[in-house]
Amino acid sequence: MSPTPAPTPLPPASRPRRALATGCEMIARAAMDVGCRYFAGYPITPASQIFEVMTRELPERGGLASSAPDEISALAWCLGASIRGVPSMTATSGPGWALMVESVGYAVMTETPVVIAMVQRLGPSTGAATGGAQGDVGMVSQAVSGGYTIPVLAASTAQEAYEETLRAFEIAERLRTPVVLLADKEVASTTEVVEPDRLPAPPALLRPTFSGPGTYRPYAFGAPGEVPAFAPAGGPHKVTVTGSAHDFDGHLRKDDPEVLAVLRHLEQKIAGAEASLGRLDLDGAGADTLVLSFGVSSRASREAVAQARAEGRAVAMGNLRTLFPVPRTALVAALDGVRRVVVVEENMGGQYAQVLAPLLGDRQLVRVNGLGKLIAPAEIRHGIG
Amino acid sequence: MASAEILPLLRGELPYCKGCGHGQAARALSQALEATGLPTEQLCLVSDIGCVGLIDALLPTLHTVHTTHGRSTAFAQGLHMADAVLHGGRTKVIVVIGDGGATIGLLHLVAAAQANVDVTVVLHNNHLYGMTGGQGSGMTPADWITTTTRGGNPFPPLDMMGILRASGATHLGRYVATDPRLPEHLRAAIEHPGFACVEVLELCTAFGVKFNAMNARKLKDLAELTGQPLGELATPARPSFAEAWRQHAPAPAPPRPFQPIAPTGTAALDRPLRLVVAGTAGEGVQTAASLLAQAAVGQGLFATRKNDNLVTQGSGYSLSEVVLSPEVVHFTGIGVPDLVIATSQDGLKRTAKAVAAMGAGGLVIVDEGLDGLPGTAARVLRLPLRKLAGARSAALAGLALALKETGAFAPAHLLAQARTSLGEGGAAAVSAVEAWVGA
Repeated sequence: MSPTPAPTPLPPASRPRRALATGCEMIARAAMDVGCRYFAGYPITPASQIFEVMTRELPERGGLASSAPDEISALAWCLGASIRGVPSMTATSGPGWALMVESVGYAVMTETPVVIAMVQRLGPSTGAATGGAQGDVGMVSQAVSGGYTIPVLAASTAQEAYEETLRAFEIAERLRTPVVLLADKEVASTTEVVEPDRLPAPPALLRPTFSGPGTYRPYAFGAPGEVPAFAPAGGPHKVTVTGSAHDFDGHLRKDDPEVLAVLRHLEQKIAGAEASLGRLDLDGAGADTLVLSFGVSSRASREAVAQARAEGRAVAMGNLRTLFPVPRTALVAALDGVRRVVVVEENMGGQYAQVLAPLLGDRQLVRVNGLGKLIAPAEIRHGIG
Repeated sequence: MASAEILPLLRGELPYCKGCGHGQAARALSQALEATGLPTEQLCLVSDIGCVGLIDALLPTLHTVHTTHGRSTAFAQGLHMADAVLHGGRTKVIVVIGDGGATIGLLHLVAAAQANVDVTVVLHNNHLYGMTGGQGSGMTPADWITTTTRGGNPFPPLDMMGILRASGATHLGRYVATDPRLPEHLRAAIEHPGFACVEVLELCTAFGVKFNAMNARKLKDLAELTGQPLGELATPARPSFAEAWRQHAPAPAPPRPFQPIAPTGTAALDRPLRLVVAGTAGEGVQTAASLLAQAAVGQGLFATRKNDNLVTQGSGYSLSEVVLSPEVVHFTGIGVPDLVIATSQDGLKRTAKAVAAMGAGGLVIVDEGLDGLPGTAARVLRLPLRKLAGARSAALAGLALALKETGAFAPAHLLAQARTSLGEGGAAAVSAVEAWVGA
């Protein structure tokens, strides 16, 4: 076998246009491109750059950006703006998310669209501001009292950060839900090559909206899982918004079957959309080993998979772009014929592996985890076996 | 209930205890809203938790937003700001909270006052938590008995109007719920174009009256005694949020395009080069690394760059980790670097461990004046980086030399990038580096 020729850069004439950008810059750019018109933030490493770009550029593009006195206010301001009908976003990290949780639940209950870029850093409490981690999977997925699913998306490159921000807004508006873009310090803060001509066109934001005739019923839906039509507070149709358990009209009720129907519906509209929300970028088919990862750890996983393949191992690579609702449909297809699943994530013990375990049947589950440092390709290669 | 005919906005039977100030305040608010003549579709009532939070169901023709405890002012502020800037400012936003919500959401009140948003807060102060059983609040008067201050409240009550005046509110007033002119006062607050707060003093008949032998007259006296007098408080006039935004918002501009990097040729580098450049904050280390990444992309390479520095930003070490590769860079970790450049003592200290671990294929470029270089198998070049290029361009000099030594691509491309990006201020240093590396 002849040795593999050394890689060489593409000659200038055949190179796509390339620029350098961080994940944060791509998140902010995507938000503005897709139609975010309100941003409120409070600085926090490693999410501050999103806040900086949005405050600098969103007003130029006809939107509004605010500096909030804390993260509680930041998300509450966003929800107020969204209740007025304006696509809204905030960005934070673990400590700020902790303050926002109350309003995340409010957004679920009131079916108010909002996008939260949650850029993970290391450790509990203040943790290590400039340390990378993927330890907040459980924190964001279990944040809402009652156990409600909020869509959680992930990105492993600056380019994906752009794409997933577009998708976060599209989902938030269409399903009237908070959506978390679960980024991490490495992807958010690292400057890398992006190819502007390979970015997807922003989708239309289609918040289902009431236009009459008849009386507006703010929380009325037909079939379970159907998203109720929105009307803005301040518009021509009288709006009743409430974070209390309510009926189709938004009235506080006790022991009313309609209230329970609403409470079930809030979960059904997300869980029922699993197949369309699920995104798993699968590379390789017919392999007996599948490496599953997301965010920064997908990057090292790709190298490990390439190395294993070069050594003759049949390995597939799955980069999870939707973490929640768990993309069952895509995973079940990807798991066909697979005997060994290697789940790679930079946290202790494997938070997402724990979520995946019930789907794996009798397949072998290998966890590759790390704390306080990037998981290296060699560690993953070892896990592949 | 008769009120439905007299007060078309207020509907249904009031759910409050007999004699509770909430009922009086609700009637006054309804009258005030009617007196403004604003159509209900332009009125938005934001409320939250407690007996006072039942108000949204009583004013069912308004837009109502019932929120979490204490947060109504924050939701109202977001709603108003979006309305004012993006929807022409057609909506009047009114917040109804109690003394409990005022302390939970104290910062929201302060922020709304500071921004002077056109939001009117009606603060129903019944001096304790009624709905949950008469516990003391932050606005309970000193010595009052509540279910949580059996021996009398040891603290004076918060002066919420004082706090809001100091925060920049532009319309403030304090009145008892029984004041026959309360509707006018509320109307004035609602019509005021900036932040307004009206504190309505009330008595909780279930707990406040029971434990403290209070009545309306005593309530008035108490206000005077505690140094929180009734009436409108003097506040300075200043621009509302909407006016201030109009004054400060940037001119409209098209989306900022990407700045693609023009191809300058094709690098010779045929495998990843993982490098660390380290120095002292404020000495252009991260800028030099950024220029390197840009030049590399011009040469057809892929590049990743990560910065690190002390939390203080402007002191101590500053470094960048850069990976250059002819192929897409997936893993951005450096591990044992191929190349280390240290331009200052801070930078060398930070990279010493990596330098010690480097093998025979590695290259270390350090300023000649530095002490403490660890033993290493890597090739070491001790050079007058700082003397030659100045402290602020030492990293650039080190990188230019590294390009020459590794043959990754011609240093001229880095220096051309530096010349363009640094402008006149960096021209002399760039020329010095150019002459030195023979670019």
